[in-house]
Amino acid sequence: MKPATRRFIAFWVIVPALLGAVFASAMDPRALPFTGHEQLSAVFLLDGQAYFGHLEDVPWSGTITLRDVYYFEDASKVTTDLPLALVKRGSELHQPVDVMRIRRDKVLVVERVSLDSPVGRAIASQRALDRVAK
Amino acid sequence: MNDAVVRIPRRTLFVAVGALVAVLLTLALVVTGVVARAADANTVASASVLKTQQSAAERDIERAYEQAVAQVRKVRALNLAITAAQADAITLKALNDLKALRHSGLVSLGQVLGLATADVEANATATEQRFDQAPLSAEPAASPVLLAPRLYAIAGRMSELATQLSDQATTDLTAPAATPAPTAAPSPSRTPTPSASPTARP
Repeated sequence: MKPATRRFIAFWVIVPALLGAVFASAMDPRALPFTGHEQLSAVFLLDGQAYFGHLEDVPWSGTITLRDVYYFEDASKVTTDLPLALVKRGSELHQPVDVMRIRRDKVLVVERVSLDSPVGRAIASQRALDRVAK
Repeated sequence: MNDAVVRIPRRTLFVAVGALVAVLLTLALVVTGVVARAADANTVASASVLKTQQSAAERDIERAYEQAVAQVRKVRALNLAITAAQADAITLKALNDLKALRHSGLVSLGQVLGLATADVEANATATEQRFDQAPLSAEPAASPVLLAPRLYAIAGRMSELATQLSDQATTDLTAPAATPAPTAAPSPSRTPTPSASPTARP
């Protein structure tokens, strides 16, 4: 094999293959854009509060951004099945708009929310009811 | 002295600049979140999930009603300082108010679920009859459901108002005999209605 051919194979085949393997091992295929899967995230803060929504996480930013935000509220005095209720952020006295920025150093855990989970279903139901209301 | 000269064909230069612009544009779109927002799908619940949510919300409303009714009946069964006629009148009014409250809650639920105006009332009445025939306390526990915020607003308000009504009846029933008791005649009092409007939270 000629040296030029070896260099061509190394540069255009082996290196891209290795880079692809490295990136693929660290990537969830469902997290790729335009795959049709909703990416719902749970952000747990150091103070114990949890927020759910669409996460935008840019590594070099000091904050992470959540959109379409929901959170848990104590419902132990309400006659619901569970002692927790899901509340959509926006109905507070200051009526925050859809975007919530959270300081990165206050975040304990970020997790992907399964769409079949109670939280995922409750959010999907809320969207369906929002459509009915429009 | 020989100067080193790198010759780049014009075509290659155009391609390289084009590729660089494309990469920068992509980076800008990714960093600003435009791609994420455009690509992220929003899942909407299927009819079966909505049906489950509706059933859970109906159960929650009924549970609030049954608990309040049980409290009123339990207090009525005690030896009270007021006369039996007064106690019966207070109990009857409280139970009627609770029934009206449950009906309002079920009507609000139907409205939020987008039922036709004609169907809302019929659905509420049918649900009431179903629960009257088979109370929740007699049924096996269903798997717990986390309600959508709009439905929780109704269930939460229903629970709050039912508690208020039963507490008021308890206070009236357990009042000392010397205090003027409420009138025995059932008055067309306005029953509070649970609404789907969000409540302000801190």
